[in-house]
Amino acid sequence: MARGSKEILQKLEQIVGPDYVSNEEAVLLPYSWDLTWTEPRMPDYVVMPKTVTEIQRILRLANHYRIPVIPYVNATNIGGLCVPEEGGIVIDLKRMDRIIKIDPETCYAVIEPGVSHAQLSAALKATNPQWEGYEFSKGFEFGWGVHPASASVLAMAINHGIGHLNGRLGINSQLISSMEVVLPTGEVVKLGSCAFSDSWHSFLPLPRMDGLFVGWMGTTGIVTKLGIWIFPIRPYKDVLTIAAETAYDMTRYMVHWRHYSLCDEVTAVSWWLAQIPIPYPYQEKPKDVPEWFSYTVISGWSEEELEYKRKMWKKVVEEERARGTKLIDFEYPPEAKRGRTELPSRIIGSTKNYSKSCGGGLAWPGTFAPCKSWPILYEKWKEIYIRHNLSPAVRFTDFQGAHYGMLRAMTPFDKRDPDSVRRAKEAMIECIRVGIPLGMLPYKPPVEFVNELNARADPGYIYLLTKIKDMLDPNNIMNPGKLGIR
Amino acid sequence: MALVLKRTDMKELAQLYDRISMCTQCGNCKYGYEYGPTENFAAMLCPQGDKYQFEAYRGSKGKAALAKGLLSGMIEWSDKAAHIIFTCIGCGACVEMCETDIKDYLQRMFEALKSEAWKQNVAIPEGVRKWSSTIRENRNPYLEKHEDRLNWLPASIRESLPKKAEYIYFVGCTASYRQKNIALATVKLLQKLKIDFTIVPDEWCCASPLLRTGQYDIAKEFIEHNRELLGKYGASAFITTCAGCYRTLSIDYQKDPPEGYTDKFGKSNFKVIHTIQLVEEMIKKGEVEFEGSFNYVVTYHDPCHLGRHAKVYDSPRNVLQAIPGLKLVEMYRSKKFSFCCGAGGGVRGGFPDYSIETAIKRIREAESTGASIITCVCPFCWRNLNDAINASKSSMKMMDITEILEPIIKRK
Ligand SMILES: Cc1cc2nc3c(=O)[nH]c(=O)nc-3n(C[C@H](O)[C@H](O)[C@H](O)COP(=O)(O)OP(=O)(O)OC[C@H]3O[C@@H](n4cnc5c(N)ncnc54)[C@H](O)[C@@H]3O)c2cc1C
Ligand code: SF4
Ligand code: SF4
Repeated sequence: MARGSKEILQKLEQIVGPDYVSNEEAVLLPYSWDLTWTEPRMPDYVVMPKTVTEIQRILRLANHYRIPVIPYVNATNIGGLCVPEEGGIVIDLKRMDRIIKIDPETCYAVIEPGVSHAQLSAALKATNPQWEGYEFSKGFEFGWGVHPASASVLAMAINHGIGHLNGRLGINSQLISSMEVVLPTGEVVKLGSCAFSDSWHSFLPLPRMDGLFVGWMGTTGIVTKLGIWIFPIRPYKDVLTIAAETAYDMTRYMVHWRHYSLCDEVTAVSWWLAQIPIPYPYQEKPKDVPEWFSYTVISGWSEEELEYKRKMWKKVVEEERARGTKLIDFEYPPEAKRGRTELPSRIIGSTKNYSKSCGGGLAWPGTFAPCKSWPILYEKWKEIYIRHNLSPAVRFTDFQGAHYGMLRAMTPFDKRDPDSVRRAKEAMIECIRVGIPLGMLPYKPPVEFVNELNARADPGYIYLLTKIKDMLDPNNIMNPGKLGIR
Repeated sequence: MALVLKRTDMKELAQLYDRISMCTQCGNCKYGYEYGPTENFAAMLCPQGDKYQFEAYRGSKGKAALAKGLLSGMIEWSDKAAHIIFTCIGCGACVEMCETDIKDYLQRMFEALKSEAWKQNVAIPEGVRKWSSTIRENRNPYLEKHEDRLNWLPASIRESLPKKAEYIYFVGCTASYRQKNIALATVKLLQKLKIDFTIVPDEWCCASPLLRTGQYDIAKEFIEHNRELLGKYGASAFITTCAGCYRTLSIDYQKDPPEGYTDKFGKSNFKVIHTIQLVEEMIKKGEVEFEGSFNYVVTYHDPCHLGRHAKVYDSPRNVLQAIPGLKLVEMYRSKKFSFCCGAGGGVRGGFPDYSIETAIKRIREAESTGASIITCVCPFCWRNLNDAINASKSSMKMMDITEILEPIIKRK
């Protein structure tokens, strides 16, 4: 069964060739949904360009006919962000999968949207940090998340993705250095140092125009090349673990530990998130086990450096205990330790830890929140989740700089059961509602979360957001509906 | 959104619905990856996705999506749906990447989809339809006469074979009708190794092509026939040199679902041994010796049906490494992350161009190792890869391991 119009199909075929465009329902189907509870909606066409020129031509065509365009790589964003709200053309960018360069001296790489975490991690590991041919150490890394290894590095980075170096270096959108974008109206622009030479090392000291495309979920243009900073792999690593009875005690420990900026990551997970897979539906936690478990990854260039970090960590734990914070010793099984240091991971990324056997659904209220609000919101979220028969599988992660961090609840649900889907959706929207007044902001938000945000936003924020969107995308063709303003 | 089972009339697929719905659509199966301490493995493994690119064609995600869409009534059957289903080779690379509870059911799902497609008014590939319409009569998918099945066997050897023996050499259709070189090499090898075996004139297709293309009704009579052969000839086991026959006889005939088909065809219980396992065992026991060497650089192609499907990765490598003079070099994509030759799942018959294009990709990878010979232990892979060598004017030479072994090995 075919969708859309023959005329548009033919025009798209002229641009990318007949093999790389389709309007057949059987081909369009996987582009109509994702892991989440977002209602499936069919696009009318899918097109797979290979070049920037092809993208320009597709966008000009879409503008002329006012057809929505949805940038797509793997749709693992857990926000329904690639589900076409109003049909249109899905631009599947997987054929643009070149690692254009890795500069081992200036420590950056330039990638296309289709480059997967698998591909980039293999290439970076095979490249050694060096100067004039003299190699300092083995391999580079970027901030690897716990997502499927097939997911796009570029799509992750431009949407504020969170990698394993977040405690040391911040989130991945802070590690981007230059970009090339095709505007909705078809012009190609370069931003950052690459606008002046072939060096893709930095946005600074220029005006940060990259902000027009970062965190916008494909609503302002298509990023066709991205410069990212890459970092030497530190050869020494350890994972230190401690449990706590309450979210409050856990937060106290985390805030104290990250004060010293000595770790790559410090994360805590509730008992429900520590189970593999997360219990679905809700299961009571056994009385005799702690409610919170944390790990922190430390790294270094020598055993001495690692030992110093261990010593400082022990000091923090002792001091916290002395002032009444109830911390409980526990050891991660070796398998779990490996999971933290061997990223990207085939095993974790395949959703095994989260939704292995409960009926295919996975979503989250994924948010950035000030650490002060973590324990307060955890108690509120827990009540909401249990009321909806869901496990409060909550995670806190501190981002570099002691300002804020991740607060999210990984939520498996059963897509076979409409009631399960409804409960998951309602619970998450309620979590967002209670969180916003306490400083919490959802990331890669589904439309339902965006609506909650917009309802509480400063009018000036919405005014400028709308103005920028209108300026860049006058016909509102780029992933329409996702910003909740048009 | 909920994906509620509506089309219960698609029985083969509907009975897998609970498992199919465990697929999260995470897409891990679309690309091969493994973390390693010093280097990470990363490569495209799905030949179907590599060729047709769209999500529907990439890894098991696309096929699981289609199954969900059909079962929930989101989409209807179409020629395009059939194309997506029949261009999946069933190579199993995606299965290696999946970690949710659909994993073990993916192969069954691919075949159940094909089985449902036969019941719909959709475009089953012409090449597959053709052999399907004659296989009952011919007992092979090559449109050849059953009476000619043993034509490859020289009369002198035929006469020397016992009526009853410990093993039946199950030749398989490809070696019987096309890659007769492999059948002959196997027989000579078994004789040199002094194995007590025979060959039977009433061997039928093992049913691999039927099962892999979802033709369960026809497969039933083939399975019921072949499983009687051991009893009939008083043998205790089958020996085979074909990866497809090995998979079918040892798994489909004998294992419970999701791996096998005992739910449909009843349970069999007999021993099946691949020639390469037999040789490996004899080398280990010190029962054989080499009377010559093979001074070539060789790379080994893992047949999907022996490797990923039956988990036999080391036996062929152990044998190759024992051959004097032979230098074994690995392709980047090997063992569980091997890249398919493009022949299986009805693809060679159904989509010859895509099949050879896939095989040429494999030959290019083999060439990059610096080997002059590509070897494997499956006549069907042999055939497709050899056609690719010819089509791409490669200087590589295709050889089955039995062909390497036979001239230089003997029983002590
Ligand atoms: C189990 C699981 C765990 C996860 N864990 C993490 C984690 O630890 N950290 C993390 O950051 N993420 C995580 N994610 C989310 C997600 O996997 C990543 O952010 C991922 O990199 C997104 O890649 P993708 O290819 O799926 O992008 P998509 O979902 O295809 O795209 C994401 C968004 O970017 C837009 N977009 C895509 N390409 C472009 C482009 N070229 N230009 C402009 N817009 C574009 C799309 O329209 C969409 O709005 C997880 C997901 C899963 C399923
Ligand atoms: S088949 Fe497995 S790996 Fe592939 S999308 Fe489904 S759950 Fe993920
Ligand atoms: S079985 Fe092979 S061809 Fe089919 S989807 Fe999986 S990897 Fe691709």
